[in-house]
Formats: sequence, C-alpha cells, structure tokens
Amino acid sequence: MAQSLGREPMKFEIYRYHPETDSKPRMQAYEVEVERGMMLRDALLAIQAEDETFAFRHSCGEGVCGSDGVNVNGVNCLACTTPVSELKPPVQVRPMPGRPVIRDLVVDMSQFYNQYQSVDPWLKRTEPNPEHEIRQSPAHRDQLDGLYECIMCGCCSTSCPSFWWNPDKFLGPQALLTAARFVLDSRDQATAQRLDALEGPYKLFRCHTIMSCVEVCPKGLNPTRAIGQLKAMMLKDAV
Amino acid sequence: MSRQASGLQAWAVQRLTAIYLGGFFIYLIVAVLLDPPASVELWRARFGGVASVAWLLFVLALCWHAWIGIRDVVLDYIHPPVWRLSALVAFGGGLVACALWGFKIILLAAGG
Repeated sequence: MAQSLGREPMKFEIYRYHPETDSKPRMQAYEVEVERGMMLRDALLAIQAEDETFAFRHSCGEGVCGSDGVNVNGVNCLACTTPVSELKPPVQVRPMPGRPVIRDLVVDMSQFYNQYQSVDPWLKRTEPNPEHEIRQSPAHRDQLDGLYECIMCGCCSTSCPSFWWNPDKFLGPQALLTAARFVLDSRDQATAQRLDALEGPYKLFRCHTIMSCVEVCPKGLNPTRAIGQLKAMMLKDAV
Repeated sequence: MSRQASGLQAWAVQRLTAIYLGGFFIYLIVAVLLDPPASVELWRARFGGVASVAWLLFVLALCWHAWIGIRDVVLDYIHPPVWRLSALVAFGGGLVACALWGFKIILLAAGG
C-alpha cells in the first residue's frame, strides 16, 4: 500500500466538473512527482500548477482552517494532513459527498453552515454577564475536551449517510458536536432550551450510530459520543 | 404520535425493548437447551401462567421494536409524503396484524 519514499511519479485521478461548461463530471488523470513527506495538498497544488483550470479550496496547510476537505479513495480527509505515501495509487480525489459541486473539488457548504448556525453556537446566559470572566473548575473545563477542537472541515457530516438522506432536517455530526459543546459547558445557562430544540425525529435522532464521522474526523474527535451524551442528557431530563 | 414520542421516547423504547428481547432470547435458548420439551403438550405448558405474560410482552416488544426500526428506515429513505404514509400504514398494519396473530397463538397455547 505505502509508496516508497524516493522521488517518483504517482498517478492521480481527479474529479473535474465545471457546471457552466461541462454536461457531466469526469475523472481526469494526472501524474505527480511525489517527494518524501509530501501531503496530498502539495500534490493537488502541483496538479494545479500544471493545469490551472483545476479548482480546490485550501488555506493554512496545517490542518487548522478546515478548508481542504476532500474525498480520497472513498474516504473523507483533509488534503493538507494526508501524506501521499499512505495513499494507494491511482489516488482518486473527489469532492466531499452529498454537497452540490460548485467546481471540481469545491462544494457548496451553505447547508452545513446553516445547520451549525441552527444550534446557536455561542454561550447563552440568563444572568447578567459578570464584569470579569466566567470561571470554570478544571473538571468543568475537561468536559469540553474533544468538543471544542472542531475545525468545521465538514469531513464528518459529508460522510454521514443520515446527513446524505436528510441534510435539511438532520443536523449532522458537526452541528451536534457543537450542540454538545455548549450543552456541556458549565457557563452556558440554556441547557433545557438547547435540548428541547433537538427534540423530534430528525435533528438528533436520525443518528443511527453508524460512526463514519468518527472514522474520518481529521482532529480525532468523536461526534458519536457527543451525540450519545446529548441523548443521555435528554433522557435524564425527561425522567 | 407527539413530537416527543417521535424522538426521544421512540429512541428510549427501542433500547428498552431491545433489552427485554435480548434477555428473553437468552432465557429461551438456555431453557430449551437445559430442558428440551419432549412433546407438544410440554411445549404448550411453557406458555401457561406467568410464562404467557412473558410471551405476550415478548410479542409486544418485538413488534414495537420492529415498528420503530422500520419507521426509521422509512423516514431515512422514503421522502415523498404519499409514499411515506403508504409505507408507514402498510408496515404498521402488518405489525399490528402480526402482534394480534402472536397474541392469539400464545393465548390459545396457554389456554391448553
């Protein structure tokens, strides 16, 4: 599976689609001289240097901004943190599934961001804000670990079959992870309101614990566990 | 079905029925392995008294569990309202019929 580490050509097949000029998508073959330590983003940049009509999103190159989520050999990942040496050639690179393609690997993430926005991703207080910062105990702070680190790349939600089936109604793993991040935050005072907002058959309960989100998260987060915590809190609240 | 029944309650019921079904299956397998009934009469005796209540609960739990599961599948895959309603009515009706049939079998067996 692993490529040798010398400088050698590697085959890539890239999804190409320009809705304004192409009648249907196609896979275009490229060859890239891969080097030791090369990441997929570097390979895509090399391809772009060769063919400037090819479009893909990227920014920080450090796995922080979450811009370059793509589907590689059937698995979502961040191009900038995926070593090409770990990929089996020919490397098939496609846009993240289930999202409308704007061009090539660039997809429309509006619905994903709308779902994120719908969980009110900010601290809500019923009491007036104090003049100093709202303190947390170390134990309370620890509860946020594994929740706050999300970079919103969309790898999880776009690999979730439940999100493919009902992207307008099911919030998806990313938005639910964010919901858990605020529900479990000791400084937030809208827990019941947030849990009530998740009721119904769709927003939360379309999750069937398939765990594709956990498998692909480039930050190693576990949205399924966060979703389980939300369900457990709802149950505790109800009985 | 209320909004609550369609979300949290359905999820909780699915888990509770799964626990009952799992426990009952294990009991059934162990009971049959340890003391296999040698005749139809001995089989029927297994449906009498308290056992009949356990069997009735088993059928109820099985159908309720199946209903929540199939409803999830329908909500995931079938989106046009007419098709969805038709599928829910068909599966729901089928499960109610299965439950009534199961009750009849158990009560007849329990009644000797």
